[in-house]
Amino acid sequence: MRRQVPLVLCFFFGVTIILTRFSPHPFSQSFYEEVNSWALIIFPFAFVLATVTLIRSHVTRIRRRSEHWQYSFIVFAGLIAMVVIGVPFGPQHPVFEWLFNNIQVPMDATMFSLLAFFIASAAYRAFRARTFEATLLLVTAIIVMIGNVPIGDLIWSETSSVKQWILNNPNLSARRGIILGVSLGVISQSIRIILGIERSYLGGGD
Amino acid sequence: MELFGIWVTAFLTLCIYSFLYRDNPFYRFAEHLFIGVSVGYGIVLSIHQGFIPFAWDPFWAAVKPFWPGIPREAGWMGLLKLIPIAMGLLFFGGLSPRHTWLIRYPSAILVGFGSGISIPLMLQTFIFEQTRGTIEPFAAINAGTLSPWGIVEAVLMVVGVVCTLTYFFFSVEHRGPINWLSKVGIGFLMIGFGSAFGNTVMGRVALLIQRVDFLLNDWLGTIF
Amino acid sequence: MLDKLMNIDRRIVFILVALAVIIPTKLSVNLPVSVSEPTQKLYDYIDDLPAGATIMIAFDYGPASLPELHPMARAVLKQCFEKNIRVIGLTLAADAPTLANTLMEEVAEENEAMVGEDYVFLGYRPGGTLVILGMGNSIASVFDSDYSGTALAEIPMMENIKNYDQISLLLDLASGSTTEGWITYANAQYDLRIASGVTGVLISQMYPFLQTGQLVGLIAGISGAAEYEDLIDTPAKAMKWINIESFVHLLIVGLVILGNIAFFIRNRQEE
Repeated sequence: MRRQVPLVLCFFFGVTIILTRFSPHPFSQSFYEEVNSWALIIFPFAFVLATVTLIRSHVTRIRRRSEHWQYSFIVFAGLIAMVVIGVPFGPQHPVFEWLFNNIQVPMDATMFSLLAFFIASAAYRAFRARTFEATLLLVTAIIVMIGNVPIGDLIWSETSSVKQWILNNPNLSARRGIILGVSLGVISQSIRIILGIERSYLGGGD
Repeated sequence: MELFGIWVTAFLTLCIYSFLYRDNPFYRFAEHLFIGVSVGYGIVLSIHQGFIPFAWDPFWAAVKPFWPGIPREAGWMGLLKLIPIAMGLLFFGGLSPRHTWLIRYPSAILVGFGSGISIPLMLQTFIFEQTRGTIEPFAAINAGTLSPWGIVEAVLMVVGVVCTLTYFFFSVEHRGPINWLSKVGIGFLMIGFGSAFGNTVMGRVALLIQRVDFLLNDWLGTIF
Repeated sequence: MLDKLMNIDRRIVFILVALAVIIPTKLSVNLPVSVSEPTQKLYDYIDDLPAGATIMIAFDYGPASLPELHPMARAVLKQCFEKNIRVIGLTLAADAPTLANTLMEEVAEENEAMVGEDYVFLGYRPGGTLVILGMGNSIASVFDSDYSGTALAEIPMMENIKNYDQISLLLDLASGSTTEGWITYANAQYDLRIASGVTGVLISQMYPFLQTGQLVGLIAGISGAAEYEDLIDTPAKAMKWINIESFVHLLIVGLVILGNIAFFIRNRQEE
């Protein structure tokens, strides 16, 4: 009951959806549309788990007085402020939008912009032409970096063309090899899931 | 209010940049505030743009005809939507360790549907189309419409794809010709990763420039 | 001396990076950009659409990618409004609706475009691929109203639009793997033409789809956005930022070369 029924459900929905792809019959198409609408209804509920898990982890931090536990109160302050305004008044309420535009937007962009500093530092310390392969990587990175900015064509008028050729040819081949390999893996994994061979999505226990 | 917003934004931006010197309470304050606000935003959007249109509205549409005092317009078919709503509610089983297994039911439907729909479409998008793209230039060679340089590029593409795939092919031991093909594949991969690195640098630096532009022009512009 | 150079405090590198951004921000540098083929392809495709055609723009990015993707969204919207091409905006990213809605309203106001007639923003729905597939059957089955709550049936420009059959192009502005999703589930399943504007991190992996024609065109990061601003003849933020970016890239390349010179000299000394 706890494992067999989900396996049967997965097999049933997997196989029938594949079959609808090969049948233009109106019943087949309306079945596919109905199942898609079911999946759309089910999906938002999964968000509950993610939110509760985060809230729980911060409650546990406060309870156990873990390192920097006081900051968990700040997490709750931000969360509650957004929810108290946003849930009853909607996401277009001016105060809700103000909090989003002046707190979340700048901090998100700033967090990721920190990486510019770390990339520069890491490139200086670790980007070494130790082997032939490492040299290939380094030279390509330099050409692409210079080819991406207007000053590249001032240094040599063909820089952006060379960059574009790299992206269009050797880069494309490597990416295509990766795409073919990864998608073959995903497809075979999907078949294993439908057939009940791969069951990790059921989690542990009975 | 706008001026106040600029100052709040500038303060929080500087709090985060203070991490460049070392980890400190200002950074931790900003980091945790960011987590709280962004999760709060996600909850609000998920309720208003997810739960209400996808779960509440179909639920209300299904039960409304049976509500006392409301004329029956829809038939019993609307009740079908109660099945996925009930399935979705099983996700709440995750809140109690004894009932976690209930999550398996909605998960199985989502995973089964996702796998079923993706198999034929991924085959078409990633296998057939990408293989066609690799072989098609040779049709142009056959028709005599490809320039000599185009022929070189077409051959280079096939060599690159085959060698990259060989590198990921672990069913045979990488010895002799396979080893050579695999080594050429590594070369192509390095060029691919090098170009990805170059482009990533561009992306991250763009974020930094935007923040500095804000601090220098929008924020300091309010003072000087 | 060599060891000192190789083990320099990383905060000195940070200061150099900061200076490489601050100094050019204060000096206004204006170098010409050369338009790449993928950007030109997208521009031409939209330019060739007849007035009254409808395109969809998926704003699939959050605040973290705003500096890269907002300028390209702004440029494409301006091109569409000037050519009387109607735009349906939507997003698959939970943290995008406020950004996307505000941007569409701003650009529409600048170009005197009317909500409901020239453009509409549908908002966000969770589910990713399920949303893409659902709209292939019926847009109204996924978005029964726009972001402000107006029922789709009451929006004049949506009157004759039922699903992807009436859409000339979907432009996915992406900071994640959504472009592959749109190609797989909207192009392969429903023959919807797809184009993409992506962050720097994703540029390299888009090229296989460009070569096969699964992508009509591509705006590649901030440089692509600057190229697009050049094409619509409206230099703005991206043009300004890509010029500043030149100096930071030169600095990083210089640091890499310096680090390697020091590395080789030390290796030779050790030998």
